[in-house]
Amino acid sequence: MQHIRNFSIIAHIDHGKSTLADRFIQYCGGLSSREMSEQVLDSMDLERERGITIKAQTAALQYRARNGEIYFLNLIDTPGHVDFSYEVSRSLAACEGALLVVDASQGVEAQTVANCYTATEQGVEVVPVLNKIDLPSADTANAIREIEDVVGIPAQDAILVSAKTGIGIEDALEAVVSRIPPPKGDPAAPVKALIIDSWFDNYVGVVMLVRMVDGVIAPRDKLLFMSTRAEHVCEHTGVFTPKSQPRAQLSAGEVGFVIAGIKVLADAKVGDTITHLDRPATEALPGFKEIKPQVFAGLYPVESNQYEALRDALTKLKLNDSSLQYEPETSQALGFGFRCGFLGLLHMDIVQERLEREYDMDLITTAPTVIYEVMMRDGTLLKVENPAKMPDPSKIEEIREPIINATIFLPQEYVGAVMTLCNGKRGLQKNMQYLGRQVMLSYEMPLNEVVMDFFDKLKSASRGYASLDYEFKEYRAADMVKLDILINGERVDALSLMVHRANAPYRGRELASKMRELIPRQMFDVAIQAAIGANIISRETIKALRKNVLAKCYGGDISRKRKLLEKQKAGKKRMKQVGSVEIPQEAFLAILKVEGK
Amino acid sequence: MTVSVMAPPRAGVHLSALPPLSLYVHLPWCVKKCPYCDFNSHELRGSLADDVYADALIRDLELSLPLIWGRPVYSIFFGGGTPSLFPAATVDRLLAAFRARLPLSADCEVTLEANPGTFEAEKFRDYRAAGVNRLSIGIQSFNPGHLKALGRIHDDSEAWRAIEIASKHFDNFNLDLMYGLPGQTPAEAEADCAAALSCGTTHLSFYSLTLEPNTVFHRYPPDLPDDDVAADMQEAIEGRLAGGGFTHYETSAYAKTGLECRHNLNYWRFGDYLGIGAGAHGKLSFPDRILRQARFKQPGSYFDQLGRGTAVSEEHEVSRKDLPFEFMMNALRLTDGFPVAMFTERTSLEITAIAGVLDEAEAKGLITRDHERIRPSERGQRFLNDLVGLFLENDDVNSNIKSQKINISFQK
Repeated sequence: MQHIRNFSIIAHIDHGKSTLADRFIQYCGGLSSREMSEQVLDSMDLERERGITIKAQTAALQYRARNGEIYFLNLIDTPGHVDFSYEVSRSLAACEGALLVVDASQGVEAQTVANCYTATEQGVEVVPVLNKIDLPSADTANAIREIEDVVGIPAQDAILVSAKTGIGIEDALEAVVSRIPPPKGDPAAPVKALIIDSWFDNYVGVVMLVRMVDGVIAPRDKLLFMSTRAEHVCEHTGVFTPKSQPRAQLSAGEVGFVIAGIKVLADAKVGDTITHLDRPATEALPGFKEIKPQVFAGLYPVESNQYEALRDALTKLKLNDSSLQYEPETSQALGFGFRCGFLGLLHMDIVQERLEREYDMDLITTAPTVIYEVMMRDGTLLKVENPAKMPDPSKIEEIREPIINATIFLPQEYVGAVMTLCNGKRGLQKNMQYLGRQVMLSYEMPLNEVVMDFFDKLKSASRGYASLDYEFKEYRAADMVKLDILINGERVDALSLMVHRANAPYRGRELASKMRELIPRQMFDVAIQAAIGANIISRETIKALRKNVLAKCYGGDISRKRKLLEKQKAGKKRMKQVGSVEIPQEAFLAILKVEGK
Repeated sequence: MTVSVMAPPRAGVHLSALPPLSLYVHLPWCVKKCPYCDFNSHELRGSLADDVYADALIRDLELSLPLIWGRPVYSIFFGGGTPSLFPAATVDRLLAAFRARLPLSADCEVTLEANPGTFEAEKFRDYRAAGVNRLSIGIQSFNPGHLKALGRIHDDSEAWRAIEIASKHFDNFNLDLMYGLPGQTPAEAEADCAAALSCGTTHLSFYSLTLEPNTVFHRYPPDLPDDDVAADMQEAIEGRLAGGGFTHYETSAYAKTGLECRHNLNYWRFGDYLGIGAGAHGKLSFPDRILRQARFKQPGSYFDQLGRGTAVSEEHEVSRKDLPFEFMMNALRLTDGFPVAMFTERTSLEITAIAGVLDEAEAKGLITRDHERIRPSERGQRFLNDLVGLFLENDDVNSNIKSQKINISFQK
């Protein structure tokens, strides 16, 4: 066990985590150069495109250290986005150490800091690494100062590397051996294994990546899952190098995979503890949480006959994404679809994109919303995740909305713009700290404002330099109202949204005028109204089209005219009919497109 | 055990009678191509080889005769291009050749499209003598500024002069006019309208200028009145022409009673036409099928291919599922619509095959109907594209035309 090191890499998107991981694998000979495609650890196309890791992966490496001894290094990959902070905490719980990778030219970012705090709280040894030192813009002195100021760990002896050119890779591996402690644990004690990650494989079922804390797991062992009390028989054990390689057993301190004939991902929850059925551990490892979606949206097929196909696609996605939730939902406007729950906006984006790309679905997505706690006059407490289902206001005592603690890192010059944005989003400033070149802003903000369009606006207010991290704080009473959109007098359920009463008039006006831009002129006038209850707060009219006719139609050649009409028809097919009005897909997300102050 | 099988589509059609037959003759040359024109026309380089082309047309007709044996010809239309570039003697030779090879009906309408230039106008008397009994003059506008903007080679005085000559020799002539022109005001459109009404024409084609792909205007769009202004013009024109005794009988066509264009009416009633000449299109019915044809567009290739035995570049059978759309695309342009029986006669489909779409069109207020006739409503006329689009092949509504699902049960 003295020769085992379990570690992960903490880094902001684009700061070079995957490239560094690749260099380690290459250096230790985990893959031949032929197998070494760029960024091995990020396996999904989407991850590769967005440069982020969604599923944790691992590589067991053999490293001959400068002292001549062979060390077994387990590199545990961590997801790099705010939506997946729980997964990050589980990955870190499986490690004794972590490399904090910081881009020497850009400095520390919000994500990194949050993950570092998680790591230090869990007693994980953090080793600072400055990457991209080959770039002319690299400023190591500044980056070191930022790490010390912001993260609060000494960084004078940070390892200097360039994952791209290979400079310092051996130094980094050497630091893993010398500065990160070996695992502790008792192979003879009752089994305790932490599930770091789990995913579904078409051939073997659920594969679990585990960290053995105590004891030994081998094939044919009877396993007990402590949170679900499920029992399964171990079929295979092994490690990833990152290719999978069978091992006769996994023993305390090691990281590897366990396959136990499990058919559904829900039986192998991330963070759960595996033990032996015959000789169970007395208590589970700390930190297990049921992860709950925080952001909800309706997903509807553009063509109603695609409903079953959408259900199939969601079922398949869910196999590999236990945090995705969905249940059937019916909208008067959009027909049959699903209300889906996501960990956050990025998660929602990813699911949407995978449905469109991998399953070829044509989707209408409604504006994202959060869960509201609604205290009724009769004393019952409801949880409402669809504005259309908000009860009659006269029966409501109060509405409580989720509040988050948001931490934003940004360069000084954008502080003014970002503060204006946060205030406009009903944010309450808690703290502001100048840290070298950067400023850290802490706000309490309603999650509802963040899911709307906060990311995009933050990006544009800071020219892409701000980074955001947030965590749920509490539910808090707020004067929320349901804003409805009526089209030709008909309430369109899929367009309803919750807004703060103070913002309602502005939101209503903006939304109605955006809808007017997005809905094409039709054969009749279309009235768009924004309303709170029976109270109309804004009205726009789309004047009727006067005519739509081909002036000249020579009986001779009909083919070109036919093509034109077919094109018009195809355009219509992609719209949703609400009453007699044809509404294009993008109108359902109009609220996200409102240019705001 | 029950097995669902798709029966093969009942291919082909079964027409009990053939529709009237027209002859279209395409003369593809112009002095200059207009910037809005997307027809198959070619700028004339050098002198016009009218005799060589006339020979080709006659050859083209002879090769086509087997397709139309014995059928009387109901109308003839010389279109272009600029047919009035051709000498009257050549038109005379062509008409004589047609009479010798085809049974022309007694009241056969013979139209020739003419440009209102001085050079052309001088030939009007001789065209009439050759047997042309209807002239269609491409005036486009009486406003010299707009004529220039349209790239026309004639001016307003030539327009008036041409009309004067035409009215001397023809008791039936049409003027082609356009509205929604670059920089045009509603008052100017109405002025064009008043001018047209004052000159003794029997028929008017009033088109809204549209920017067609593959034209100069499409590449370099001029500043046109917006849709709402163009719609105002359209309404003003309709009002004025109605006051002047013209019936608005088709989307863009207006006529004195009884003087509707027979040739175009035959298109709109889904009649047959043989098209000869470079780039001409044709539609021909047979008891068991309906054919569409197109000929080579470039005069050079047209001559070459004709020399090898056929000028036809494309030919296909119209499938049953396309028939409702093709029929409606034409027939619903007519203000008076069509008799229900005509749909069955021309397509061999029962009207019940499109009952669902007709119901939808009626529910949307786009058609009116009784047992005898189906007409576009006033809204249907203005939104003809939306109306006709309903009949485009659609998996839901046309399934009873394409194929029938049969359940076969058998014991195992």
